[in-house]
Amino acid sequence: MPRRASSKIHPGWIVVIILLVGLAISGGLFLFKNVQDPFRTTAILDTQLYLENANSLRGNTYRVTGTIRNFIKGNRTGRLFSVEVDDKGRSVLPILVPESLNKVNIQKGQSFAIRLTVDENGILHVEELRKV
Amino acid sequence: MSVPRFVVIALLTIAARPVFGQAPETPSTAPTNPPSATSSSAAPAPAAKSNGDLPMFDPHTEVLTWNGTSWNINDNRLFNARFEKYLNAPEETTAADKKYQKLLFTILDKLAPSKVGPGSLDEAFRLLPQASAFDNDARLCDSIADAVYSAWSAQNERQRLEKANDALKTEQKAVEWNAGMASQLPQIDAAPDAKNAAAQETYKKNEDIKRETRMQPYITRLAEIKALVLANQAKKELSALQAKIEFQSLCAQLFLQRRYQHVLIATRFYRNVFRDGDTTMRVGNDAKDLFAKTTGMPPTVGTLDSMANEAIRDCRESIQAYEFLLEKNELESATKRLGEGFVIGEYMPEFRTLPREKKRQALKFSQTSYQLVSALDVKDYALAEKLVKDLETMAHDFDSSKPMAAVQTATTVAGMHLAKAKNAAASGDRATLETELKEATALWPRNPALAEISGIIFKQADVQLEALDLLDELLGRKEYRRIYDDRVRFIAAAALYPERQKQLQEVLDAMQTIEGALMRAEEIEKRGDYAGAWENVERVYQKYPNDNRLNQARANLTTEASDFVKTLRTAEQLEKQNQPGSSLSWFLKAQSIYPGSEFARAGIDRQAALILPD
Repeated sequence: MPRRASSKIHPGWIVVIILLVGLAISGGLFLFKNVQDPFRTTAILDTQLYLENANSLRGNTYRVTGTIRNFIKGNRTGRLFSVEVDDKGRSVLPILVPESLNKVNIQKGQSFAIRLTVDENGILHVEELRKV
Repeated sequence: MSVPRFVVIALLTIAARPVFGQAPETPSTAPTNPPSATSSSAAPAPAAKSNGDLPMFDPHTEVLTWNGTSWNINDNRLFNARFEKYLNAPEETTAADKKYQKLLFTILDKLAPSKVGPGSLDEAFRLLPQASAFDNDARLCDSIADAVYSAWSAQNERQRLEKANDALKTEQKAVEWNAGMASQLPQIDAAPDAKNAAAQETYKKNEDIKRETRMQPYITRLAEIKALVLANQAKKELSALQAKIEFQSLCAQLFLQRRYQHVLIATRFYRNVFRDGDTTMRVGNDAKDLFAKTTGMPPTVGTLDSMANEAIRDCRESIQAYEFLLEKNELESATKRLGEGFVIGEYMPEFRTLPREKKRQALKFSQTSYQLVSALDVKDYALAEKLVKDLETMAHDFDSSKPMAAVQTATTVAGMHLAKAKNAAASGDRATLETELKEATALWPRNPALAEISGIIFKQADVQLEALDLLDELLGRKEYRRIYDDRVRFIAAAALYPERQKQLQEVLDAMQTIEGALMRAEEIEKRGDYAGAWENVERVYQKYPNDNRLNQARANLTTEASDFVKTLRTAEQLEKQNQPGSSLSWFLKAQSIYPGSEFARAGIDRQAALILPD
């Protein structure tokens, strides 16, 4: 009787397929993430550098992602919040949300992607922020 | 009134009036030549006259009141001195003393009313100079002899005047007879005719003139004789009176000198010299009052005599009582009886012959008693208490209740004042301290506790000055910790200095704050909250940076909470560099490390206010 050809998938192919699927997922996630970050073109604020010498960062725009920790103070010109930045040191930075962003509801514990500018006094002025 | 009382009064009267006033009761007919011996005593001495009150002696209290002053006769310097002299003197029992006493007794015996006669009177008179030769006599017998001689001279003078009067009376009779004869002489001229009335009248007138002329010398002489007789009679009376006054003065003087034996001799002579029975004392009104008020009857020589006898008996009794009480060891009473008797009978043989050994027992008691009086007088109550105990041991009958009451009252009250002074010293109440010390000193100046407390106060004063100096120095160097550690000393020292007290209070308040912070930090540290502990210390340190203990604690806690401290310091540094953003970030970081941090909170508020001004 003639010998029939085997129908089983070779195990090597299974491993290759798994790797490819993993790569596809990772790539998808990477793409999703980059597409999701609205300020991905803006440089990330080096919090350690800011803490050590804010003068060197004056006039630049950066982005940070973090969680609102506390409302510090507010008046007609704006609101001052403390934000726990999603960085290695979990630094807490003050951000000044100007009057123009009053329509944005900011609450303690909310996470935001924030684009901000370092002014001449080293104060972080929020230009734009989005909940993440 | 008793003799002792009279004698005491009389003695004081002598003391008050150096010369006992003597004055005749009929000064209008004073003798032409008063005896010089009594001339000085012929009138009371007005200079020594008191307010007219007689001295009064209360035998119950032994207090004598005179001229507005009262004193105890046993507590009199003059008496004490004299009494002590007597108590120290040896007994007068020598052969001469005995011979002298024998002489006096012989004189008295010869003058005794039952034995006296012209012969014995002369014999007694002759013995007077012999008695006077003894020192004990003080020549008083000579004075008596002089008085007797003066009296006799006065009597002789009286006899001479009587004889003169007799001669004058004889002459008077002769003159009267001659006058009679002269009036009856025959008529020389013949009478005119009876019918011639005018011639008769003229003749009669001429005859009358002739008779009167013949009788005139006789009439004049008769008048002269009568005047002389009257003058001599007056002289005679005055001479006798003067002699009596002189004698009586001597008697009174001897009595007041307490020479009772001499009084008896003098009065017995008086009675024999003046035999007219007139013994009434002619003395001045003051002296008369003195005798009359103390004896209750007018003064006479007899009164003096009886009082002298009574005094002699009283002296004898005093000595007997003294010796008896001495045997019973009742020295207080014994000494008092001896003292009383001594006032009266200082010169009596019973007193003079008392053995010195017996007298010295009273002397010891007296000296201790006087010492006690002096101790109480100068308020030396410690000594007074000791002397009271000595006297109690010495004399069974010594009554210690009064001196001890005085001692205990004074010591108790003084003790209370001292206790108040101590409290005042402790509380720094200088006014009360001074008042209470003054009171305590016034009450008991020699209080040993007073010296002790004064020493303490003086020592305190030194310590106080030292402490104040140190306080000033430490305040200058701001070494508040040293002040705090020795705060009790500085509080006491600065108690009287309000300015320093205020400074000290500020220091102590500061130290209280520091100590409070350290205690809190210690407690917080125990919980592992080093940042909290550091913050507690740091807060106080900023106000009081010089405290060593605080510095030490701060240094230790800075090490323990180094991250927090470093973060905070960085925030503050950036704040100073006017970097509110960075500074705020660091304050926030510090708050992250120690969420309860007040420094971080304050820093955050400050920076927030800069970023978002109100």
